[in-house]
Amino acid sequence: MLLDEMVIDENNVGFIPSLGISFEVNETAKRIIELIKEGKSKEDIVKIISDEFDVSWGEAYADVEDFFIKLKVYGLIQ
Amino acid sequence: MKIAISGLNNTDNPAPGIGVAKSLKGHNLIGLSYDANEPGIYQGLFEKVYLMPYPSLGYEEFKQRISYIKEKSNIEAIIPTLDAELPLYIKYQNEIEKLGIKTYLPSLECFEMRDKSKLPEFSKKLGVKHPKTIQITSLDDLILATRTLGFPIMVKGNYYKAYKAYNLDEAIEYYYKISNEWGFPLLAQQVISGVEINYVGLGDGKELIAGVGIKKLSTTELGKVWSAVSIDNKALFEVSKKFVETIGWRGAFEFEAMSDGKDIYLIEINPRFPAWVHFATMLGINLPEMMIKLIQGEKVEKKYDYPLEKMYIRYVEETMADFKDFTTLISKKEL
Repeated sequence: MLLDEMVIDENNVGFIPSLGISFEVNETAKRIIELIKEGKSKEDIVKIISDEFDVSWGEAYADVEDFFIKLKVYGLIQ
Repeated sequence: MKIAISGLNNTDNPAPGIGVAKSLKGHNLIGLSYDANEPGIYQGLFEKVYLMPYPSLGYEEFKQRISYIKEKSNIEAIIPTLDAELPLYIKYQNEIEKLGIKTYLPSLECFEMRDKSKLPEFSKKLGVKHPKTIQITSLDDLILATRTLGFPIMVKGNYYKAYKAYNLDEAIEYYYKISNEWGFPLLAQQVISGVEINYVGLGDGKELIAGVGIKKLSTTELGKVWSAVSIDNKALFEVSKKFVETIGWRGAFEFEAMSDGKDIYLIEINPRFPAWVHFATMLGINLPEMMIKLIQGEKVEKKYDYPLEKMYIRYVEETMADFKDFTTLISKKEL
């Protein structure tokens, strides 16, 4: 998947070297991408985001779910 | 070496000649122009500029003019860069060579193989996908094509221009717009969603010598690149390499493709340097210089690596020239 090759720089811009496309990401998105690359499941990611960003499980679930849909729309994950 | 270069129209629809000339600054350069208004004439890159007869006038006109230029400026090589003149240069490359002027061009057979109308078959040879394409020579053909391919649809000229049409009215408008300017046939093509990526390369008739891949970041209204970023797309590199090896391409080329992240779709192969070729030079891959070395029979090391995430930026610049230069070029056909 394309997300594997995404390189995020110090300006929080994720760059895909094979296609030359880039995305601006916030801290939460950056962390979710890191966790996806580490091979964590969606459930694990929700738990980690909920803990690290001090939000409820429900709120974290909605955000992670929404972010996964966006990644699919942009073709970054299957 | 004294090298003649064509394609000096350095406007927002630039010809490749100036990018080639900037890459060959250490040589004595002669400009070949079709119009005294072409800005590249006045950029101080050429020791002499000659007006050329239009390629549509045929080889005899061309031969007369180029023989005169050879005699006067002793040019040793020519790098033609314009689509409209390439068929003439390619067809008569042996005759041009006999005049003592070297070129580095593909064979006529290779040139015709990558013609837009033959791409569906050719892309199979390369193992890449190609958007469904239907040749159209009448309004009925266009209507039928829109029924087969649906909307949106690309309406393209065989050599120049391409527009995306979202309905039949728009498709008809573009049909007339392109055919009135460039004639028939036209092509109706399926729209591929994805990212447009390009590769400029140089083949020696057997192997890919060097090249650079880019993604256009912004374009002009005519779709010409205004900013871009260097990329490393393995599939694009491999298919460009295969293109050279499969048909024995000799010379410059630009491989235009779409990628949906999984597959590569071949859109077009231009048989020349693109206008952004100087970006490759700035990245350390000086393709025109490599071409000159190959022309001179020197050995050229293959070079496929270049810095990534480098940005190419076009900008506007002004200069001043003597009006007398302009009038001299018009009246004497040389400057």
